[in-house]
Amino acid sequence: MSTIECRKLRKDYRRGEEVIHTLQDVDIDIHGGSFVALMGPSGSGKTTLLNLLAAIDRPTAGTITIGGRDIGTLGRNALAAWRSANVGYIFQLYNLVPVLTAYENVEMPLLLHALSAKERHQRVTEALELVGLADRYSHYPRQLSGGQEQRVAIARAIVTRPTLILADEPTGDLDRTSAMQVMDLLVRLNKERNQTIVMVTHDPSTAARAGRIVHLEKGKIIDAAEFERAAQIAASGAHR
Amino acid sequence: MNSLLRTIPFTWKNLVRRPLRTGLTVAGIAVATFLFSFVESMRDGVVKATEAGAAETRLVVYRKNRFCPFASQLPQSYQRSILNIEGVKAAVPIKIVVNNCRASLDVVTFRGVPDEGYLQEHVTQAQLRSGSVSDWLSRGDAVLVGSALAERRRLRAGDRFDAAGVRSWVAGVFDSDDAQDRNVAYAHLGFLQETAQRGGTGGIVTQFNVEVDDPSKMEAVASAIDEAFAHDQFPTTTRPESAFVARAARDVIVLVRFASIVGWASLAAVFALIANAIALAVRDRIRDHAILQTLGWTGADIAWMVVMEAAMLGAAGGAIGAIGAHAAIAFAHLNFTMEGVSIEVTASNMATVAGVVLATLLGAVAGIVPALSAARREIVQGFRTA
Repeated sequence: MSTIECRKLRKDYRRGEEVIHTLQDVDIDIHGGSFVALMGPSGSGKTTLLNLLAAIDRPTAGTITIGGRDIGTLGRNALAAWRSANVGYIFQLYNLVPVLTAYENVEMPLLLHALSAKERHQRVTEALELVGLADRYSHYPRQLSGGQEQRVAIARAIVTRPTLILADEPTGDLDRTSAMQVMDLLVRLNKERNQTIVMVTHDPSTAARAGRIVHLEKGKIIDAAEFERAAQIAASGAHR
Repeated sequence: MNSLLRTIPFTWKNLVRRPLRTGLTVAGIAVATFLFSFVESMRDGVVKATEAGAAETRLVVYRKNRFCPFASQLPQSYQRSILNIEGVKAAVPIKIVVNNCRASLDVVTFRGVPDEGYLQEHVTQAQLRSGSVSDWLSRGDAVLVGSALAERRRLRAGDRFDAAGVRSWVAGVFDSDDAQDRNVAYAHLGFLQETAQRGGTGGIVTQFNVEVDDPSKMEAVASAIDEAFAHDQFPTTTRPESAFVARAARDVIVLVRFASIVGWASLAAVFALIANAIALAVRDRIRDHAILQTLGWTGADIAWMVVMEAAMLGAAGGAIGAIGAHAAIAFAHLNFTMEGVSIEVTASNMATVAGVVLATLLGAVAGIVPALSAARREIVQGFRTA
């Protein structure tokens, strides 16, 4: 279980002479094993915050401590190793590697771990079974529907048994039924495996499935406590 | 090392599962490497034929200032005078008849040699592919044909053979380590002289092949031979056999040097082709690389994948091209003959290996810049660019 602590987190982008403050002094604590939804309008900094938590982007200022470790102090290679061991990332547009089959896509992160071929096979099969795609292991991404692709992406994110799953609008490109299946899966992972999940979403009904909702606007967390309470009340039925 | 090995399956899949791109790139590399290996084999043949070895002991005595077997006429009686010169172990009078004096890919050269001695030394029973020396001895019009000439003209023992105005009967086909031997038909000296007698040249030979007893005496013996006939009606020029071949083949040598430049230029084309293919591939896979890095693969892993893919393309194209050139040369039996002297283009193992190794190395080098750019790209920037 990873506890996440962000302090005075800032991220600026430069566009020509103009500096865009995407995140401004964000402070947030996320307890290990919780399911948090990040909500907010486009350009509010949700995906930037997710990328910083995944250590695929670096903050302009501030610190991110995950599981007691300040990830800002790690070099590129150490960050890669840390990501491999701790993070599973689910993209909105699935981002499967097109020349690899579903099985091979799921196996890719495991190649970085000291596992035998047999152990890798067991883990991949288990992950594909969990997402209900054991019979699609030899299919290429182009041979799968959007929902199936996203489930393969989820299998890829969980196959290393990471403590932290980060999902960037995982249902944003899916039809209603597929979106429901994906959300059911994420809730199940959170409950059964106690994995910490941080999910970006625009959709209130999707956010309602999370245990906690954090609202971002113009790079800042807005009335988090109040919003959280209201969101928890609204979501309490759906979450159960 | 483990980190490098784990990237191999992914790199391999990237190549084989994009067959059109891989096929076209490999085909381009193969053509360029084919050209390089072919030209290098030609150059190898020229070097082998014209480079003097430290142990060279054979001199060729030719008529002074004459450059074609038709024009080089020496009395056979010179043989006795040559044998009396100190350091000469043997002197063989040879009559050469060719169907074309200029540089050509299909020249038939007849060498008339004495019935006894020369052929028995040059063609042992083990070298005979078919027929026999005794068959050659038993018929006046018999010829023993070198393997390269026999393959070019599809000759077998027992065939009739008509070229350069000489009608002969093939008594056998033999192999030899010497390209000059592999590309001639050995006839009886008397038979060739008789054939040439219509032009009034009986008792006349084209050249003498002189064996010297010590390689260090080559120069002294050559000078002694030329001095002996300097004031005679038929003055001579004597050179080591390699120098004789080099002089006769000077036009071809220049052409092969030029072709060699083209061969190396084709390697530059290999470099450009791979660099272009890899640069495009890296651009197409910016998102894939960002995904892999998100999963935990390092920039070094990505760089290594790119370099390895480039090297694999080079190796595959290089192997197809170089082995193709090797096979084409072996199949075509190419042979340049000029002024009765042969330069054989043989499939050179060195040129084949050089073709594969250089194409692989060039591939790896061509992949370095795209690899570094892929490795250094920030992950988020990669997703945005894609």
